[in-house]
Amino acid sequence: MEWNEENGLLLIPLGLGCLAVWWLMPSAKQRPRILGGLAALAAILMMQLMLLPPAGDYVRNVLFFLFAAAAVISAGLMITDRNPVYSALWFALVTLAVCGLFLLNSAPFLSASTIIVYAGAIIVTFLFVIMLAQQSGTATSYDQQPIQPAMATIGAFILLGALLFTLQEWGHIDGKSTNQHAEPGQFIALPEGIQPNPLSQAPQDNPHEIGSLRVLGRSLFGDYLFAVEIAGTVLLIATIGAIAIAPRRSQGTL
Amino acid sequence: MLEQLINWFPEWARPFIMPMITIGIVLQVNLGVCSYLILLERKLSAWMQDRIGPNRVGPWGLLQPVADMLKLLLKEDVIPGHVNKFLYVLAPGISVFTTMLAFAVVPFGPVPRNLSATDGQFPYIIAPGVDLGLVFIFAVTSLAVYGIILGGWASNNKYSALGAMRASAQVVSYEIPLGMSVVGLALLTGSMSIEKILLHQADAGIFGWNIWFQPLACVIFFAAAMAEAQRLPFDLSECEQELVGGWHTEYSAMKWGLFFLGEYTHVITISFLTSILFFGGWHFPWIAEPDSQYLGSTLVKVLVLLTKSFAFIIVIQMLRWTIPRFRFDQLMGLAWKVLIPLATLNVVCVMIVKQFHLNEWWLLPMSAGLFLGAGLIGTQSSRPFARRTLEPVPEAHGHHAHAH
Repeated sequence: MEWNEENGLLLIPLGLGCLAVWWLMPSAKQRPRILGGLAALAAILMMQLMLLPPAGDYVRNVLFFLFAAAAVISAGLMITDRNPVYSALWFALVTLAVCGLFLLNSAPFLSASTIIVYAGAIIVTFLFVIMLAQQSGTATSYDQQPIQPAMATIGAFILLGALLFTLQEWGHIDGKSTNQHAEPGQFIALPEGIQPNPLSQAPQDNPHEIGSLRVLGRSLFGDYLFAVEIAGTVLLIATIGAIAIAPRRSQGTL
Repeated sequence: MLEQLINWFPEWARPFIMPMITIGIVLQVNLGVCSYLILLERKLSAWMQDRIGPNRVGPWGLLQPVADMLKLLLKEDVIPGHVNKFLYVLAPGISVFTTMLAFAVVPFGPVPRNLSATDGQFPYIIAPGVDLGLVFIFAVTSLAVYGIILGGWASNNKYSALGAMRASAQVVSYEIPLGMSVVGLALLTGSMSIEKILLHQADAGIFGWNIWFQPLACVIFFAAAMAEAQRLPFDLSECEQELVGGWHTEYSAMKWGLFFLGEYTHVITISFLTSILFFGGWHFPWIAEPDSQYLGSTLVKVLVLLTKSFAFIIVIQMLRWTIPRFRFDQLMGLAWKVLIPLATLNVVCVMIVKQFHLNEWWLLPMSAGLFLGAGLIGTQSSRPFARRTLEPVPEAHGHHAHAH
């Protein structure tokens, strides 16, 4: 039962969070939301003790907790909000908060492009569709209830648990981060057995280059050229498919 | 002097002083300039339409912006009963916040080359040293659509909803040519930082300004940016004749004023960006070279940049009273069928020049050729297109067959 002693501590906040999200899910009969909120708060606080960021300067720590708390809380509210429009807006806030975390971890280009693509285009399209479907401002009844709240919650938290256990294995997070000498742009310790990519490392003479566009471009079109090309081809095929499926009218569109 | 001021503060607060001063200056100047731009726009439209324009408040109507501001502040702030109150109040705030945030990486003067946060140099930019300045601006302005779409939906009004739908489709479409048009600049300069693009042009002299190599990109950038800001040839979302006021139909008093503050801030940002990216920024031959050190040279550089930007603001305002509004399908067609292909071909031209180490001046005839080619295709295809829409096409042999 060595495994239980090492990792069992994670199970409590996971279970608590799972219960809280299930409790807060919109359902036919009104549940008191304060209970779910308290459980969620307790889960977040317990989890926070285990996943401390490496000790940095105070600005970095304040920003990290700000963005991380905003991301987790908005994600919970996105799942549990009754109104789909508010859900889409919480989703936008989750994206922005996660982009802030990217920025803290020296990935400015990833952060900016995520904002452009997700917050600026995809969620706007969601909002567009939701607003076209319900212009009166209140959600219709079939949009207000999830179909299988219990299964969805349990499935999501199993995924989250798997992710956290893997991170724990990698970073040896036993109550505190072992990564005492964190480089800028490093969140947890590098996993053992996985070598860092030589091309994506900052050059020795200029450590500020880490995460810059130059390094990112060299890595994307050097190390990961095949994956990038495959992704591009898939997207091109999807675009052609979308154009082929879209109906055409003789009198122009709209 | 500035250094003494900074040293007076405790150690931990020093990095914040200079940004705070800069933000304060930019915010105040921006608010003042915006109100007088509205007066200028009214005077300009009056002049172009052979009217007199506002002339009652103060000499030549110069105090009109003050009167307007007082009116907006003192008016009854109506929140209609049928709106979603939270989002209704939030929308104007988002609109102003995003446009102001975009100005953070736009230099408004000669940015010192070796800048640190605490040595007392005035930075002439709110956030110096952002490596991805251009991408940052696109990211932030792509969020501005939330102000429009939320305002339109929260108003719970058909006109507002239609305006918001149009606006969001338009803004999302025009982001693509806007981003594509400056990729060529990034390739030519080797950087996405606005300061570096400016310095690259200033070091190369007047014949190093990007307008000589990327005139087509300049036109595409300007058009797409105008569409992003919802200025007149592209202001489908708030066209008064069809939609009353579009997405701000239900807004009154200062909340309405905030939407307009956002729009004018956007116009100022566009003008600054156009003059910095394509017209050399603060550089002007003889009087504002990178190595000019005479007394007051910094002031001259700031004035040169402000003059260039002011010229673009005038152009934008004159365009408003010159070009009629597009139809919605024309607007979408312009973005997807004209601007995006042209911007892509322009990037390909830059790639060819860089790859084969050709002289950069080859880009000028290439851009002109692309522009003429697009114009030729446009005029040649307009007649068959008109015929095609008039004749009813039988649906049975149409395009549904492809889908199956």
